[in-house]
Amino acid sequence: MAVKVLILEDNPVARSFLCRVVRESFSDTIVITEAGDLESARKQILLTGGSQGLHGTDPFKLILVDLELPDGNGMELLAELRHYPATKIVTTLYSDDDHLFPALQCGADGYLLKEDRFEVLVEELQKIVRGQPPLSPAIARRLLTHFRLGGGNDLHLADSGFTPPAFSTSKPVPIEKQLDHERLTPRETEVLTYLSKGFTIKEIASLMGIKWFTVNDHIKSIYKKLNVSSRAEAAVLASKQGLV
Amino acid sequence: MSAPLPGSGDTSSFEPSSLDLASGAPEFGAWLGWRRRALATVALLACLLLFAFTRWLAATPFIDAQWSARADGAVLLQGSNLPALQDLQGRRLLALGDGLAAPRPVDALLLHRSPRWQVDNSARAQQLAQQQWLASCLAGGTVELLLEGHPPVRLQAQPRGFAGLGLVIWPLLSLVLLLLLFAAVVVLARPQWRSALFALMALCQAGNLAFIALETLRGLGLPEVAASADLPWRLALDLVTAAAIVQAFWQLSDKLPHARAAIAATWAVVATVLLWALLDSASLPWSVAQGLCLALGVEALVAVQQAHRAEPNPYAIVMRRFAAVGLFTLVMATAAVVVSAHRPEMAYGVAVGASVAWYLFLASLLLLTPFLSRSRQVLREFALLAGISTVAASVDLLFAAVFSTSAFTSLALAVFIALAVYAGARQYLLQHLLGRSLLTTERTFELLYRAARDVQARPHRYPQRQAQLLRELFEPLEIGVADTGTARARVTGGGAALLVPLAAGAADGPLAVQLRFAQRGQRLFTQEDARLAQRVLEQLRRAVAYDEAVERGRHEERQRIAQDLHDDIGARLLTLMYQSPTKEMENYIRHTLQDLKTLTRGLAATEHLLSHAAAEWKADLLQRLKAAEAQLGWSVQFDEDLRLSVVQWSALTRVLRELVTNALYHGHANRIDVVMTLQGGALALSVSDDGQGRDPVTWAHGLGLGGVRKRVKLLGGRVQWVERQPRGIACDVQVPRFSDVGKGRSSTAEQAPR
Repeated sequence: MAVKVLILEDNPVARSFLCRVVRESFSDTIVITEAGDLESARKQILLTGGSQGLHGTDPFKLILVDLELPDGNGMELLAELRHYPATKIVTTLYSDDDHLFPALQCGADGYLLKEDRFEVLVEELQKIVRGQPPLSPAIARRLLTHFRLGGGNDLHLADSGFTPPAFSTSKPVPIEKQLDHERLTPRETEVLTYLSKGFTIKEIASLMGIKWFTVNDHIKSIYKKLNVSSRAEAAVLASKQGLV
Repeated sequence: MSAPLPGSGDTSSFEPSSLDLASGAPEFGAWLGWRRRALATVALLACLLLFAFTRWLAATPFIDAQWSARADGAVLLQGSNLPALQDLQGRRLLALGDGLAAPRPVDALLLHRSPRWQVDNSARAQQLAQQQWLASCLAGGTVELLLEGHPPVRLQAQPRGFAGLGLVIWPLLSLVLLLLLFAAVVVLARPQWRSALFALMALCQAGNLAFIALETLRGLGLPEVAASADLPWRLALDLVTAAAIVQAFWQLSDKLPHARAAIAATWAVVATVLLWALLDSASLPWSVAQGLCLALGVEALVAVQQAHRAEPNPYAIVMRRFAAVGLFTLVMATAAVVVSAHRPEMAYGVAVGASVAWYLFLASLLLLTPFLSRSRQVLREFALLAGISTVAASVDLLFAAVFSTSAFTSLALAVFIALAVYAGARQYLLQHLLGRSLLTTERTFELLYRAARDVQARPHRYPQRQAQLLRELFEPLEIGVADTGTARARVTGGGAALLVPLAAGAADGPLAVQLRFAQRGQRLFTQEDARLAQRVLEQLRRAVAYDEAVERGRHEERQRIAQDLHDDIGARLLTLMYQSPTKEMENYIRHTLQDLKTLTRGLAATEHLLSHAAAEWKADLLQRLKAAEAQLGWSVQFDEDLRLSVVQWSALTRVLRELVTNALYHGHANRIDVVMTLQGGALALSVSDDGQGRDPVTWAHGLGLGGVRKRVKLLGGRVQWVERQPRGIACDVQVPRFSDVGKGRSSTAEQAPR
């Protein structure tokens, strides 16, 4: 059976380029659905069973989402597709953590930088689908802050250069114990710390005395925790706003 | 001599006192509660007391006649409202009787009412005897006056009535009331031993003034108790005041080694003399009593001098001046009394005048001390007032006594001379007694302007700059961070310290800068200083707020430009790149796109830590080298994790990328080594490869190399390419003063006029 792929990208040239990348990356039979804006992407998803992907008999297996779209931001779609059972990948020109981190929080499984060379993109895409998502030092740093602060409002505090005065360090602590999905294991924290300092996965593996795919497992787990904790946050937020 | 400031000795602890709370703190209402009731009670009691005192006086009998003394000791009738004495002016009073026993002879001593200021012991005994005889005659109801060349005049003693009290008593009693209330206020505001000392002095002086009020009653005749109690009680009041002052001065500083012994010895001597005076006042020589007073004055001066030497502070200076002026006045008064003692016609006038001048002066100093830090204006006016009154009183005395001029003439002359002295002394007082202000308005403005400019340019230096500015404005002995917070600048410790909030915002926390002892310990802080500090603070905050607004505006503008560049130009370059016909063109456009991204990121971001930037550079290079199947050797070392400015970050990012691109695409290198070190502010970057590049001197300086040169030059460094053996090229970048580079706003601020 053919693998269904959705590519959401407003620039037709870039879209066809991404199509080539996708076809090159996988040996399966690929059926690519192209969309130029959020509107048509939503329609396509509805055809395959809606954003929950529960009723569809044949959902998309892979979704590439551009962040900058004429009728909105790709992040909106990612948020809607939180529970859609597909590998969701952000394709963007922005490589900085300010843009990528929120996308990862919205449930993206990885990101591709559009200006990378064809071969690089193919390799990166294969890695993401295999479960080896990229993690740049800046994003690793953001993740560390995110989890250290208990998944809270890291957007304000992350590395803004603001250091609170010494006398007000008595930050309120939660009485309830943090849930496991809100915390990183010591190993995961170690991996993140190394990543934030620019070490490669191989270097980290030798520094920690473990296999490289174990490092990779840690990274996958971190991604998962980020998604789960973000999802929990979203649920709390939604219930607060009376949406649920 | 003078009194210490209540609480002035607390030079070591500067906790905001309850007195300071009164200056507008929110707890003021609660703080005031019971104190206000207690004060009202004290005031009511004092008023009742004084009323009872005047009522008692009004009920005492007297003879409504004015008398004067002649040089030979004779008492002459000056005038009278009594019909029986109407025509007898100028006649000499020979003797007094009660109509039953034989009349007793009297002389000028009868008019001298204050045994305390009678120099001669035997004269004092006669004086007491005569006055007691007069009192007992009056008490009997009938008085017989034996006037020269006239049959005895028999008079019925009449109660004074309130009209018979004279006019002088009322201002004196008002002063007594004022002193009592002051003592109450000081004790209530700060219930502690030092306030108690002040209250003791004030009470003693109130007692002295009450005695004076009693003795200035007109007419002939005083209650018997007034004559007999005068010497021991007034001496007691004087000596207790002096001893209290001495104790307070010894305790101005905690660091005086023999203070306790000196205080104990002082009180012991005072107690001995007092015991003598109370048991046998007749045998106590006046010279001993007055000598002890003077000795205590000298001791007070020594004590305050020692305190200042041990711990320089403005109280000691102010108090030393007060003590010196007070001691001088006392010596003058004593001298006047001693000199005039043997001239009966003026002895009484001088004794009263000198003592009144001295007590009034002391009382005004007492009233002044709690106000030392409140306002310079009050201090100045009080000091001038006290000085002028003293001068005027003594001059008046001099003219009236020595030249026998009429009362009006001597008063006019006295006022004239006092005004002349005031004019002359004013300048001196302003400059010396009150601490001269070194800062002119112009200089203050310049300091403030410079600080504001500096704070605008470097907001992170705000606390240091504020402290520096305050130091320049007030020249305090010490400056430090206080652990007690304050919302507004205020004076604490009665003028010893000035608390100025430190943080830029009121909500930023309780930290405050504390300045101790203005003008190197020469001056007390006043409310005006607090107001000035508050204004200064507001100016600085305004400067910071302005700077923040400008910076926010800049940031928003930069972000908008970055967004536009990125979205529009970036998308077009991307399209172009996908459609490029050749590999070279594609790489070239990719390179351009990456430069554009660096540019926009530099615009949008503010600062990067060197360690963070290095991590990203490494990750970026690794990816590129992996795509080109080359190895990366990476080493970054720094002694300080510098916060890179946008200029530094983007220059390094692009230099690094350019050099690696060159090595990859022109040199076809298999391995690239990047070594970066930051040591003592100097940056060294070396990028070496094992590619095919040779002979770098002959290279065409195209866009890439030119860009590298330009950026290194921008950083103030130099770059050179050399051949490596056996193959490859090494590029060395040296930036000797990297830490100072590119902080554009700061560097302009450093060039600002100083």
